[in-house]
Amino acid sequence: MKRLLSVCWTVLSSRALLPLVCGIFLMTYIGIAFGTDDTLIALMGYTRSSVILTVLLALIPVNGACRMLAETRRFLARRRALRVETTDVPAALYDETVEMPVSPSFGDLPARLGASGYATRHTDNVLVAWRGISAFPARMLFLIATFCIFAGILVSLTTRTSHRAAVIEGQPLPTATGGGGLVERIAMRTASGLILSRVLSIEVAQSDSGDAKRVFGLYPPSTYRGYFVYPRYLGFAPVIRLSAPGGQNYETQGTLNIYPPGREDRVEIAGSPYLMEFSMEQPADGSDPFITGRVTFLFRLLKGKELLFSGSAPVGGEFVHDGYRLAIPDCKRMVSTDFIRDYGVLMIWTAAVLFLVSGCIWLPVRVFFPRREMRFAYARNVLQGSSRAEGARRRHGSVFHEALDYLESGKSKMDKTL
Amino acid sequence: MAVVKLIPHLLSWAGIVLVLMRGFPQRRPLLAAASIAGFVFGTAGAFILFRSLSSELSFAIIKGAVGAVFLLLWGIAVAAIYSNSVRDLSFSRGARFVDAPLCAGIGALLAGVLSGSVCVSSFLATSGSPMTLLAVVLAAGVLVFVVMALDSLLPASYTVSWSGLWAAIVALLFFSSSSVIRLDIFSPLSMKVMKFSHDFVHQFFESMLIPDHLFIRTYLWGYIGLLFSKGVGFWGALTIWFTPVLLVLLAIRFELLPSVAHIRQGAQRRKQLAAAIMTRRYRLVPPVIALAVFGAAAYRSSFPSVEYWDPKPIPVSANAAGEIFIPRKGEIDLEDGKLHKYLYKKGGKEARFFVLLTPTGQLTVDLDACAICKPDGYGQAEGTVICYYCKTLIPLETVGKPGGCNPVPIDFTAREDGVHIDAMALINKWSSTVQETARVKEGGK
Amino acid sequence: MAANIVETGGLTRSYGDICALKPLDLRVPEGEWLSVMGHSGSGKSTLLNLLGGLDRPSGGSLRIGGEDLLLLSEDGLARFRREFVGIIFQQHHLVPYLTAVENVMLAQYFHSVPDEAEARSALERVGLGHRLNNRPGELSGGEQQRVCIARAIINSPKLLLGDEPTGNLDHQSTMMVMELLKELRAEDNFTVVMVTHNQEVATWGDRTIYLDDGVLVREERTES
Repeated sequence: MKRLLSVCWTVLSSRALLPLVCGIFLMTYIGIAFGTDDTLIALMGYTRSSVILTVLLALIPVNGACRMLAETRRFLARRRALRVETTDVPAALYDETVEMPVSPSFGDLPARLGASGYATRHTDNVLVAWRGISAFPARMLFLIATFCIFAGILVSLTTRTSHRAAVIEGQPLPTATGGGGLVERIAMRTASGLILSRVLSIEVAQSDSGDAKRVFGLYPPSTYRGYFVYPRYLGFAPVIRLSAPGGQNYETQGTLNIYPPGREDRVEIAGSPYLMEFSMEQPADGSDPFITGRVTFLFRLLKGKELLFSGSAPVGGEFVHDGYRLAIPDCKRMVSTDFIRDYGVLMIWTAAVLFLVSGCIWLPVRVFFPRREMRFAYARNVLQGSSRAEGARRRHGSVFHEALDYLESGKSKMDKTL
Repeated sequence: MAVVKLIPHLLSWAGIVLVLMRGFPQRRPLLAAASIAGFVFGTAGAFILFRSLSSELSFAIIKGAVGAVFLLLWGIAVAAIYSNSVRDLSFSRGARFVDAPLCAGIGALLAGVLSGSVCVSSFLATSGSPMTLLAVVLAAGVLVFVVMALDSLLPASYTVSWSGLWAAIVALLFFSSSSVIRLDIFSPLSMKVMKFSHDFVHQFFESMLIPDHLFIRTYLWGYIGLLFSKGVGFWGALTIWFTPVLLVLLAIRFELLPSVAHIRQGAQRRKQLAAAIMTRRYRLVPPVIALAVFGAAAYRSSFPSVEYWDPKPIPVSANAAGEIFIPRKGEIDLEDGKLHKYLYKKGGKEARFFVLLTPTGQLTVDLDACAICKPDGYGQAEGTVICYYCKTLIPLETVGKPGGCNPVPIDFTAREDGVHIDAMALINKWSSTVQETARVKEGGK
Repeated sequence: MAANIVETGGLTRSYGDICALKPLDLRVPEGEWLSVMGHSGSGKSTLLNLLGGLDRPSGGSLRIGGEDLLLLSEDGLARFRREFVGIIFQQHHLVPYLTAVENVMLAQYFHSVPDEAEARSALERVGLGHRLNNRPGELSGGEQQRVCIARAIINSPKLLLGDEPTGNLDHQSTMMVMELLKELRAEDNFTVVMVTHNQEVATWGDRTIYLDDGVLVREERTES
């Protein structure tokens, strides 16, 4: 049992696990690519529905967590090794270890190492020296970021739910559970920033269920009852009144994704054989209809596949043709919005920030102040010298070798006797 | 001409054998035997494939094998960089395996099989008698002995690491396969990368709830739009192409030097370190050469030395009934197996199309454009048509079937006298196809 | 009895009609300090150049450390010079724009790889631990010669050749340099062959040979 646990720990904390799992997903992606052009979407779908793939993906954050534990243990062991009172230090903590049969005497070595830029600590039998800054904090941040990003992807893939609905002025916010506050106003204005050219705001009144008054913008998206409110497309919800030659009258409110001008959408006139295709006229003055609210609709009325007529009318206007009368007495702004419940998004954004921070810490430390350590310990007339370096290996190695030469030549004894 | 076409393949073969000999210097006779045997098997296997299966399937199998080897190189490159930079990750068992005679023999055999099959596939689809194959095998065999002699003249210090060895072998194999346009991997790779980039950006924006392009500044959307362009496919493919060799180079360059702490004399320590550094530098040579060879392979893939048959479109007109008629025989023989292009114009609109007799003996009429790419048109070469925009090769057997980068098929009637096409349907089909691909060009959302 | 590190048999060197070194049979046991004396033009420097692999003999045999120098190629001679021999000249030939430690590292570079810590230790051994970052122009004659000594011994040569190393030094500096060489030789056990025209310097050796017109005319053991 102990052996099994040990093997499991070795596998779960192995640095080879991440590239291995990524390799499996790559193979899967390549296999899917032979069958479909929408490879990435298919892969996401398979991962969502396949227990094996989900478990494989879950191995990565588990591996990240195990690596954090393993590396923290190693880091703490190294810190303990830098204490002169620590006796049993495993050689595996260091890059190289050598033993020499020399009698205990450090002599002038601490001062010599100090002159080379090392901080030292020693007793009669143990000397430790170090310089530079450990990359451990940056490494930890990196591992946390790796954990977050893959955990975020896993959570997002497996638990994300979304529904798209039309948010219309004057109507309740269409939440999954219903009973959302009234959408009081949808407004858009031009923005002056570097990234967004327009700024959208959706004002929602307090609901009967106790939700407070809210204003939703574009980015970062806010949440309503645990769902991100993610505006996608703009449009209008006109009231359409159609009178046909036979005396039939129809009224319907359409939801038209016809922004920007040039897009088309269609509405079935409920209870009638008629279908209307709408688009929006580009204002001659170059203004934005969604901002100004002044919209002129271009439309075509179809009965089955037959085009009956086409024309245009502004909001509040009407159009008459061959006994048909079309009026658009009112029109509200509409935002086609996705309501998304996804707990993985925040983790992924957190991961991005952590990757950036870890990189900003790691690079200067690795280039300018890499951590270098050495330890000399006498036990039973044998000197054990150990050394490790996270960077500047050759330079550190030469100082370490010279220190060993110094100890072995007995110069340390000469210094003492002078 | 045929002999000239074989030169890049035989040169690659010689290079592969030389690298193998350098990698396993104690096993030259075994490698010579295994590689020649592999070449013979590869040649014979390819011959049987092309005789028993369609050329499309045969090329697909060989191309798949070459692609699998590239994936293997990726795995080797990642393993190399991990093993050289992570002290607590040991591949000692793997390292012992790759040095063993069994691995050397299997590697040489596989390299021979692939080299042989790639080499002879350059002419088997169109011709290839057993005598020609025998001549090729004999030439390959002679080259092995020449390379053995050359290898014995090189200094022993010019060593190759296991990762550098496989990088060089794969690079040479790709150089060889890039000479055969139907085995080209780079162009399909860049198309797939372009598609992946498109999908990934789209998914990323949706997953991260980033506002739609309606709200983002035009200049910024222009930069984002670059991620949907053909350029990203090309550069992404180049990145994937070169990265394994770069990883191998980095792995070798940052290999940890041997510990010399046990040596008490400074001069001896430095001598050992200098020897290790020199060995490491020599080991960099094969991956550097592999980098150059990969570059040459990508260049040959992007600019193949193939002449495409691309006739100037002949203007045609419709009769009073709105029908375009093209006779089977006459000035142009529709049944000669070549691409015949035509141009129809009406009322300010135009459409380009072609007529082709496929290897199955059926005539097909298709737009000189596909449903995905810009309508740059098609050319014909070596049993395929090629889309000029994305460089995808479409086997002649599949022309007339819709989907992917295939030319959009047109409804027509084939009679004894010739081909009859509805002019209005042709114009409408062209307009809707070109409009669609223009929309795709604008940003993909 | 120690093995001979230098063995010559009928070693000669001629420059056209001029015979700088007439056939010379010489044996130098390992660890010995041999002084070579003679007037100007007696062939001392010629002998030193031949022993150091800086010149090729015109005839005879020459074995250093068991290696037949006549059979070595140019590359082989260069390797021999790098690994086996250290040379100290009267004119130091230090690179003027490099510091003391960099001058020593230069010798390491040509041998294998530079190692700053080792170069510093070597300079500390010769008593220049406080002058590591000074350029030759900032050092006294004696200090410059000590840098040369550090440079000569950094690659642990078996044979140290000196061509009048104290020729430009005052008496005090000369004694300091000789004392240092004696100390280093005792620690590292290399063989010294030193050319000098100074009788006092010659007596630091275990044995002195006298050359006259390229001929070995006399040999004396130094009384300890």
